[in-house]
Amino acid sequence: MLPLSSIPSVSANLFQQIDRLPGNTSDVGAIPSALPAATPTDSSSFSSLLGKLVSEVNAQQQVAGQNVNALQSGANVPLHQAVISMEEASVSFQLMVQVRNKLLESYQEIMRMQM
Amino acid sequence: MIQILTGIQNTSAALDAERTRLDVISQNIANAHTTHDLDGKPYQRRVVVFETALQNAMSGESNGSNLPAIQVAKIERDNRPPLQVYDPGNPDADPHGMVSMPNINIHEEMADLISASRTFEANLAVVKNARSMAMQTLSIGKH
Repeated sequence: MLPLSSIPSVSANLFQQIDRLPGNTSDVGAIPSALPAATPTDSSSFSSLLGKLVSEVNAQQQVAGQNVNALQSGANVPLHQAVISMEEASVSFQLMVQVRNKLLESYQEIMRMQM
Repeated sequence: MIQILTGIQNTSAALDAERTRLDVISQNIANAHTTHDLDGKPYQRRVVVFETALQNAMSGESNGSNLPAIQVAKIERDNRPPLQVYDPGNPDADPHGMVSMPNINIHEEMADLISASRTFEANLAVVKNARSMAMQTLSIGKH
């Protein structure tokens, strides 16, 4: 199992850059103030939510890795527990990939928009 | 923690319990002819007792299901009397040539073994199903 320890920092950086992209809602002053403006510094902003998801996925990958390591080094970890944690890690990784696909899809949809 | 495969904790506990049951059965079969247990008497057949337990009550996590899970309550001794076998050459034979053998019936143990392994299989099927349900749900967005 590949440790994804470097992903959270990289992705947090990436999402901050996405937030700062020209055309982001935070830079458009013309939007009426009645709309709830999502500020990038908000703790519940989309990028921080995504960062949280990525770090959760990373944590599950690490748990799976630890379980497999413990199993292989002869610790008292049942086989099914190691396999189940691997499956959980795999499914949550798939979830993350799906979220990323959706994000990219909507970004490209916006970029194709006629001005 | 995000709960991707809910209910898996309970199934995992059940798999643990069935594994313990398999261990005890293997111990019984291995000791089918042991005339000296730890207490010096013939080996007595061991039986696993299961009980339900609230999985999340201890950890304090309220996400996920609060359905009761299974756990091993205790490993009891079967109190049926030992089998008396006539074997005058055995060093453990009494003056009449009778030896007290463990109260283990191999056929009974084999039936228990099949039952335990089928239950294990059923719980594995639950895991597989939960996984495929999650993967099918994730494929909603695909086109």
